[in-house]
Amino acid sequence: MSRPPSIIRRLTASLAWVGGLGALLLLIVIGIEYRISFSNLGDHDAFVRAIHELSEHVLLPMAVLILPMALAGRWAIKSGVRPLIEAAAQIDARAGETRGVRVDTTGFPIEARPFADAINRVLGRIDGAAALHEAFAADIAHELRTPLTLLSLELDRLDHPDAERMRGDVARMRRLIDQLMLLAQIDADHAAQIAPMPVDLSDVAGDVLAQLAPIALDRGLRLALEADVPVVVTGRREAIGAALRNLIENALRASPAGGCVTVRTEAGGLLAVRDEGPGLSADQLATLTQRHRRADHASKHGAGLGLAIVERIMRAHGGTLETSSEARELRLRFPSAGASD
Amino acid sequence: MARVLIIEDNERLAGLIADGLAAQGHVCDAVHTLAAAEDALAATSFDGIVLDLGLPDGDGVDWMRAQHGPRPPILVLTARDALEDRIKGLDAGADDYLPKPFAMSELAARLRALLRRPGGRQDAILSLGNLAFDPASQQVTVDAHPLDLTRREAALIELLLRRAGQVVRRAVIESSLYTFDEAVTPNAVEANISRLRRKLEEAGAALELHTIRGVGYMARVRGA
Repeated sequence: MSRPPSIIRRLTASLAWVGGLGALLLLIVIGIEYRISFSNLGDHDAFVRAIHELSEHVLLPMAVLILPMALAGRWAIKSGVRPLIEAAAQIDARAGETRGVRVDTTGFPIEARPFADAINRVLGRIDGAAALHEAFAADIAHELRTPLTLLSLELDRLDHPDAERMRGDVARMRRLIDQLMLLAQIDADHAAQIAPMPVDLSDVAGDVLAQLAPIALDRGLRLALEADVPVVVTGRREAIGAALRNLIENALRASPAGGCVTVRTEAGGLLAVRDEGPGLSADQLATLTQRHRRADHASKHGAGLGLAIVERIMRAHGGTLETSSEARELRLRFPSAGASD
Repeated sequence: MARVLIIEDNERLAGLIADGLAAQGHVCDAVHTLAAAEDALAATSFDGIVLDLGLPDGDGVDWMRAQHGPRPPILVLTARDALEDRIKGLDAGADDYLPKPFAMSELAARLRALLRRPGGRQDAILSLGNLAFDPASQQVTVDAHPLDLTRREAALIELLLRRAGQVVRRAVIESSLYTFDEAVTPNAVEANISRLRRKLEEAGAALELHTIRGVGYMARVRGA
């Protein structure tokens, strides 16, 4: 493997060539001018005079020219490349983002602009293609809603032992559509670069529990909230609410009859959902959050896309989804407000 | 019971909703365009509107925004579940919001809650199971037997009945039942709920008051 080409090395090599060639030309010119021939060099005085002439007229001018040129060249290249290195660092710093990333060309040397602009055009096309893909998924989900409503209402009128099972199927399809739409929404928010706002996790938890309480009671389960003080993070309220809703719905499915699902908040930006189910190990959680990459998303836990979506929402907030199987808790950990940018 | 206008462009869906609501005792008119809805609203008065957002002759959100003066409460149906749309819809004057697909029982429950809200049919007697509440006299009856309640207990049960099937947040109860100069001890609401619960039980009411710890309270008919 040869080393990748370097502009500075190339400049050094070019200057060495210029130096060498210049020295040779000067030697010839001086030789002709002072009629110095190789036969005179046997004489000691003539040799010293020749060396003296050469150092004065060849080595000195060369050194005076080449050394500052080399230094100036190095400096010009380094400062010319610096915006590129800075832009690379900025792009790396946004590693969590997959969309809307562009090379900032302000301060770019004009020679590097065409390349950066071409890269930005490609990134734009990729974003456009991704947006189109997501919009298509959202459109499909949207178009499915009306026929599914018809199906649901027709089933309601059906008095048949199988109808209940089919109603369950419709409910599952509905959940999948909701999750698809939610994913599209997260991406759309992200693409639109909506500014995050202060969100009180305790207040969000109260809202979501209030919405889900009728469903929990229907299944003979209880909900409780342990959040007496506001816990403020920066983010998108609806997305955080959706993440929490997914966790609570999972907990309700995992809980034995008569069980209680408890949500608590903790200062510093933690939202935790505890149930009386078997708990989830870190490995299981990792598998479930990866499920969206595979086709068989109908997991035994019935989580579907749920945990993958929660993980994505947390990633968009610079936070994490964690599990504590001893505490039987799933935790949403947010970067504490003020610490985030 | 109530007269409901259904504005939904899918005729089959409009028919199914009308049938379902008719089975709940409502009188329903189904129209398929906003123009037809205007005509219907000009001709008769309705107690509630079920509105689909995407209609052939306009957008439901814009239509709601253009409505001035008193109008019946609106329950919005939509295939758009995008959260922004939901907020936009509620801002434009929707009273509640139900994403498609939904079950008939859900739609009926939401509509019931809507008709019960203040500003809806305010003076109508609220009834749930074998319990009835007269907002004018603040009197609760169970199987037609009057129940002896304090003023605060009556106000509390009205609040819960108007949102039966939904959770009423503790902060909402505290702010509407207690004035500023009155100290609200953390247990004051819970104590009132317990007393109310006991009285309802003794009277044989089918109404249950659920506590969602840390969140609020919810009234539901037992077994519903």
